[in-house]
Amino acid sequence: MKLTLYPKLAFDSIRKNRRLYVPYILTCIGMVVMYYIICFLKYFSGLETVPHGEIISEFLIMGEFVIAIFAGIFLFYTNSFLIRRRKKEFGLYNILGMGKNALTLIIFWETVIIAAISLGVGLPVGIILSKLAELCFVNILQGDVNYSLSVAPAAVLSTFEVFGIIFLLLFISSVLKTRFSTAISLVRSENVGEKPPKANWLLGILGIVLLGWAYYIAVVTENPIAAIFLFFVAVVMVIVGTYLVMISGSVLLCRILQKNKSYYYKPNHFVSLSSMVYRMKRNGAGLASICILATMVLVMISSTASLYYGNENALLRQYPREMDTYYYMNSIADLSDENIGRLREKLDGYHSEHGLVPQNVIECRQICVAGYLKDGVVETDVSLFDTSEIKIVDEGITEFIFSSLEDYNRIYGTDYSLNDGEALIFTVHGDYVGDTVSFNNGRTLKIVGSVEDYSIDVDAMVSIVPSVVLVVPDLGKAVEGLDRLATYNGDPMLSYQWVYCFDMGLEPEEQIAYGQSFWKYCYDLRTDNSDDFVSITANIRELDRSDFLTLYGGLFFLGLMLSVVFIFAAVLIIYYKQISEGYEDQSRFEIMKKVGMTDRDIRKSINSQLLTVFFLPLAFAALHLGFALPIISRLLLLFNLRNIPLFYLVAAGCFAVFALCYALVYKITSHSYYKIVIGDKEGKQ
Amino acid sequence: MSILEVSGIKKVYSSRFGGNKVEALKNVNFSVEKGEYAAIMGESGSGKTTLLNILAALDKPTGGSVILDGLNLAKIKESAIAQFRRDNLGFVFQDFNLLDTFTLEDNIFLPLVLAGTPYREMQDRLRPIAAKLGIPGILKKYPYEVSGGQKQRAAVARAMITDPKIILADEPTGALDSRSTDELLKLFGDVNMLGQTILMVTHSVKAASSAGRVLFIKDGEVYHQLYRGADTREQFYQRISDTLTILATGGERE
Repeated sequence: MKLTLYPKLAFDSIRKNRRLYVPYILTCIGMVVMYYIICFLKYFSGLETVPHGEIISEFLIMGEFVIAIFAGIFLFYTNSFLIRRRKKEFGLYNILGMGKNALTLIIFWETVIIAAISLGVGLPVGIILSKLAELCFVNILQGDVNYSLSVAPAAVLSTFEVFGIIFLLLFISSVLKTRFSTAISLVRSENVGEKPPKANWLLGILGIVLLGWAYYIAVVTENPIAAIFLFFVAVVMVIVGTYLVMISGSVLLCRILQKNKSYYYKPNHFVSLSSMVYRMKRNGAGLASICILATMVLVMISSTASLYYGNENALLRQYPREMDTYYYMNSIADLSDENIGRLREKLDGYHSEHGLVPQNVIECRQICVAGYLKDGVVETDVSLFDTSEIKIVDEGITEFIFSSLEDYNRIYGTDYSLNDGEALIFTVHGDYVGDTVSFNNGRTLKIVGSVEDYSIDVDAMVSIVPSVVLVVPDLGKAVEGLDRLATYNGDPMLSYQWVYCFDMGLEPEEQIAYGQSFWKYCYDLRTDNSDDFVSITANIRELDRSDFLTLYGGLFFLGLMLSVVFIFAAVLIIYYKQISEGYEDQSRFEIMKKVGMTDRDIRKSINSQLLTVFFLPLAFAALHLGFALPIISRLLLLFNLRNIPLFYLVAAGCFAVFALCYALVYKITSHSYYKIVIGDKEGKQ
Repeated sequence: MSILEVSGIKKVYSSRFGGNKVEALKNVNFSVEKGEYAAIMGESGSGKTTLLNILAALDKPTGGSVILDGLNLAKIKESAIAQFRRDNLGFVFQDFNLLDTFTLEDNIFLPLVLAGTPYREMQDRLRPIAAKLGIPGILKKYPYEVSGGQKQRAAVARAMITDPKIILADEPTGALDSRSTDELLKLFGDVNMLGQTILMVTHSVKAASSAGRVLFIKDGEVYHQLYRGADTREQFYQRISDTLTILATGGERE
């Protein structure tokens, strides 16, 4: 036998099944391209010019991993679909006297051809697009642009490795699938009479319960810390719930509708409903996957985009001024006007020495203490939260910031007045709604109102621990009885701070330079004059801006890349579903035509089916997204994104764009479905 | 009074560029009386199926006319043909053509549902037919759960439920075993007795012998016809058989 026979047979069968193979090969190419790009960026030298490139590099490694795993699972899914459709052909070869070994050879050559095309086209395309991705990437991260095209041999190599393994596994699974079936079963595999699915009440209801529960969690979880953990719980519940609902719940719904005779026996419901029952059983999983992928894309894009675009806003909230400094004192006595006056004089001296006039200065005193808040009572016993980290993220751990009324009125231009033992409250994360706060070692404060704003303390804003700001008339009295508290290693538990924030009125680069030298000066003061303050922290907004840009930009970019991959997948699942259904429905509609169904009826019935099948996952994705928004917006608080309307807007925008793409795919797919079902015009006559 | 009049039907198939022409039907003339049970016989390739497709308005003749109950099929608009078929014709096919996604009952209801009939009326119509065909017990089953004979009876019920002017049956016994065949043919006889016009295309002598008249098609024309008259089934069977032999061997006409 000629050696070229098998490659030729393999090539021919791919060509003849091109309606099936073209999308598959395109997907393979797409996966190779995406994988190469992510890989390339990982090795990309420009990453070094980007601040915090190493964090981005970590993200990329994660993304690379996700894409590799996903590509594997997804290509398996599509391949099994192809094999199912090809079984008849293989059976025929088998009956005509081709042994199983020969079949294996054909499959081998098919795999080789597909792998060759995927890598042969995917890599060059990947290399070209990687430049585009790099530019986009650098732009997002605001790094230095360089316009030469480069190839990362290491990335090429790992692409070969990953896809080599995937194709090998695909080959093995295809061979196993054909080996273990007899010729007759191969030939018949496509028209095995199938039982109509029974509605599984238990699973359907379980699915609905899971979804409802997850939605409930998403909506009621207030605490961002709890939200992190519960978010993942809810995600798992939503995934399982979606699968159950799509597979069983939808059959259940169809069955209930079928029971309603006057609804069921209507021309436009009759045909679609009965075929839907079959459809759902076999394709419920596919629909659920589409729905999950769509939800993931939407959640990913909307949250990363909000972080990226909300960055400026978050930055301004987090850093009220271009430079913020915090001076930590040992006791309340050190916070005296005299002490602070001396310190301020030195700082002013430094400013004038360097020709800087600080603008928009904020200065105030505050005292911080952490405690375990429960029912309005604060337990400050250190043993509760000294060592174990788990306890730190325990619900109830709260940071209290005492601020003096005098400072507050001065900074915010308000004229609140308080009596002794009264306090105004501001909560950062989580809303405390008690009438009083009492400290077990100290006093009880009566909450007489809340203030609108308190953005001075950067630590409180970024802290993942809920913070409560208490504006009190007299700092000293407020912390009476608490000042002897010490941590387990003897440090005072109360932190006495003087906050000094200012704008510099300089160019961003100069801001960083001046900020850093000012910081150094203050730091040196500490060693000179330890009576005044024992330590200092400082934040320069410009410095952190680039940090955040890198962080959020990296996340955003990765979100975009993964979304492209997931959308690819969702589109392909839909396409294959419709094509395979088209082949199945062909004979069905043929019969209905003979019985007196008009072309218009058929068109209408197809449309209503397609619309349902297509837009069910989209509708579910919208529902999921809608319920995910509250919990995600709480998670975003941890990233200091407080511009929730922006997030909702971005989410809505993402959904609109996604729905548009989806509708386009629907148009294309329904066209090929219709062509299969109705057949060519000539064929009809 | 004839319910179906076929005159001068001609059907020519031509290849795409009009090169080769194949004449499937040359000149077919016959009529079917109301309440008649007629069979059309002929060898494979004699144009039986083409004729049936033309009668069913699934295909258009190249020439000639088909008049059903005074209505010329050629005059019906393309868009109204499916509805015409639904309202006036009943079909029974060799391979049943039941939809596997429906129960037998829903399969039978299909033409009525397409016509927008209310559920109650469909039920009322089904009851006597189901009883007559002996299928009330299996109405809720799916096609894959019942035997071929039962499937064909459901298909007959589907053909009858619209109360069609004529039932067109295309090799209805082709996929049935001999017992089911006998049952089905008896059923056709019974249904015909109640006044239903039936036109059956077959090449089974047994099936044809249950009809009241047999038309023989050869080379695209009605070559001959036999009336059962007062014959028993066996006698009629013999005559059909003899005629076929003559047709096949090309002997002279009787």
